[in-house]
Amino acid sequence: MKHLLTGTLLACACASAATAQDITLGRFFGACEDAGNDTKASVGEACIIQSIINAADAEIEGVSIETLPTDWGNYYDQIKAAYAGGTPPDVHVMHRHRVPEFAGFGALAALTEDDLSGAGIDPADWTDSARDAVTYNGEIYGVPMDLHANLWHVNMDLMAEAGLVENGEPVLPSSPEELLEHARQLKEATGQNYLAADFAQFPIGVRLVLALMWQQGENIFSEDGTATIDNDAAQVAVETITQLFAEDLSNPQLNYADSQQSFLNGEAAVLVNGTWVVDFYTAEAAKEETGLDNYYAADFPTLFGEGATWADSHIWVIPSPVKQDAEKYSAALKVLAFINEHNVDWARTGHMAVRNSVLESDEYAALPHRTEYAGTADIARDTPPAENYGAIQDVLNRELQAIWLTDKPVDDALADANIEVQDLLDR
Amino acid sequence: MSKAKSPLRRLNETQSAYLLLLPFLLTYGLFLIYPFFRGVWISLHDWNLLQVAFNPDAKQFVGFENYVRVMWGRNIEWSPWARPVLQTLGLLGIAAAVTLNRTRRLTGATAIALGLAGVALFLIAGVYAGEEGRWFDRRFWPTVGNTVLFVGLTVPGVTISALLIAAALNRETRAMGLLRTLFFLSQVLSVTVVTLIWQIMFSPRQGLIANITELSGGSPITWLTDERFAMAAIVIATIWWSLGIAMILFLAGLQDISKDLFEAGALDNCTGIRAFWYITLPNLKRTITLVIILQIILHFQVFGQSHLMTQGGPNDETQVLVRYIYQTAFRDSELGRASAMAVFLFVIMGAFSIVQFLVGREEKD
Repeated sequence: MKHLLTGTLLACACASAATAQDITLGRFFGACEDAGNDTKASVGEACIIQSIINAADAEIEGVSIETLPTDWGNYYDQIKAAYAGGTPPDVHVMHRHRVPEFAGFGALAALTEDDLSGAGIDPADWTDSARDAVTYNGEIYGVPMDLHANLWHVNMDLMAEAGLVENGEPVLPSSPEELLEHARQLKEATGQNYLAADFAQFPIGVRLVLALMWQQGENIFSEDGTATIDNDAAQVAVETITQLFAEDLSNPQLNYADSQQSFLNGEAAVLVNGTWVVDFYTAEAAKEETGLDNYYAADFPTLFGEGATWADSHIWVIPSPVKQDAEKYSAALKVLAFINEHNVDWARTGHMAVRNSVLESDEYAALPHRTEYAGTADIARDTPPAENYGAIQDVLNRELQAIWLTDKPVDDALADANIEVQDLLDR
Repeated sequence: MSKAKSPLRRLNETQSAYLLLLPFLLTYGLFLIYPFFRGVWISLHDWNLLQVAFNPDAKQFVGFENYVRVMWGRNIEWSPWARPVLQTLGLLGIAAAVTLNRTRRLTGATAIALGLAGVALFLIAGVYAGEEGRWFDRRFWPTVGNTVLFVGLTVPGVTISALLIAAALNRETRAMGLLRTLFFLSQVLSVTVVTLIWQIMFSPRQGLIANITELSGGSPITWLTDERFAMAAIVIATIWWSLGIAMILFLAGLQDISKDLFEAGALDNCTGIRAFWYITLPNLKRTITLVIILQIILHFQVFGQSHLMTQGGPNDETQVLVRYIYQTAFRDSELGRASAMAVFLFVIMGAFSIVQFLVGREEKD
């Protein structure tokens, strides 16, 4: 009897070892301790993605997923070091803007239409911009998860006090002059700042300036690799923002957490931040104790000729070495298919979905504030593809911060940024 | 049982010494010597981290080009008046070394070290990019400057505060023992915890310091994003963090000083601050030198505080060398260039190690 039991136990152990494919998964979005398996109940990027991963781990037959500990700020450094050491995670998330860098060196597995449809992913269901996000030199290198962009998060009570609400919608500026006018008006009526954003830490100020340049039909560098930052459009874009600092209508010294806190405390009427916080702010506005009660998520307003706001996509990829192990590759594809399947759950964060079938669904339309920023998908923009996108963003962030935090003259900062970006493009 | 000698017994003293050293030599060679030479080798190549990982032939030998690209520029010139303040300071250093050595107030090695530092400052500060010229890497030298500034503020800060605390706590009571433990506790924290604590302390919205300034009627300082305070903020956090080891070394030094000296001093009415100045300090000279040089070598490698608290900002004011090396290697994938900077850092730290060696040897004589 004893032998029989041991034998059965051993057999079970062997069987499960033979069928279960262990998949390691790398992601940013931050940590969530108790995400659970319920993909419909979690709140915030970290918990929603982790609940989807936990559900995948529980529901996909024969696949067990281990989420690797990674840190937001150093994510790409960690991932690159893992690739260089020959031990990348079996699937990992990344941004659209990193595809040229990773796919360019053959680091990513090209996913054929057969592979994708075999796993239950239908690329034809993706929006055009989502398909572009994962395509490099004509091949598909990943599964898109969202389109995310900068919005204007609005405190409607402060706006109403300043007389800037019409038909239940905020009245947003349509020119730099009007922006200043609104900001003065709001300060006068409420004593609070008109606009807050992280101008001191992450490149959110950069994305603001980029949007204002694109709205004037300019860009920071061209497709052929020429830096074009030192021009009138950039000057105008920067001064559109600095005019607010000069009259104390916005505070450039707040970092990400502090700027968000000032908005939630009711100390700023507008916060420029991404789609990723819509569900979080909705939840905060519902609480009694926060200074924000009446929340609205608006499209980035058009202050110049054409509409534009900074946007990017989160995509899931499989490293090319994984393809050598057919079973592992197929397990990894199943994980991507599961995430693709739960696109509407991820969209609950506030991000825009990438599947047409989801975008047209009632469930998606019923998500809070969704109709308020329906125009964002049409004005989504980013810089031309570049292998050292990260370094270029850092140069811009540094020089723009030098303008608003250390009073560096705009001309000097733009000239310096132009030289440094050109150096990076030439390397 | 055979009576043959065990093979170990047949070794003579030298052979067994080598045998016992072998594990150390192997580890040392494998984890320090080999990586060092490998680093030098990489620094002579155009070496992309990701590219070489997927195709080992993708690297290209470029000789010293990485060093030139990082440290040199176009139309670089030298003048004795390029940076008058720094260069005058260098000249003063040379003059001080000569006079102090002549009047026998400074010993040979210390005078040579001071003199060399003066010469180096005079020469290096005189280099500048001439008209139409530019540095190939515009961030490298300012980054080196920030690192030197950080070391220049942190090392005296740690040394002086650790010395004062050690002198105050050098008594055999239970309360002093408890305080010693408390002051040492910060040392065991990791850099992540330390920077987290201080980010909260410095936060203009919820921080302790902001609350105190507000209570006294001032407006809170945005420490980490204000160019006047960002470097000070990371220096303060670092001093708090690395006080412990220096304090323990000073305590050990203090306990080595013979009580007789203080008793003899007391008879001549030399107590309190005067006793500290005329008895404690001269007897602690060796410990102070050791602490200073150890701290210099340690703090040249600063990374976490700048990376986690200020991200090198605002406007690169707190960008330090190791963070620049890290970004070049991992954000930009330029391993060759990063290795060239790392070799530069090695040379600086090697120079201080030599100084320590010279000073230590001199005092034994």
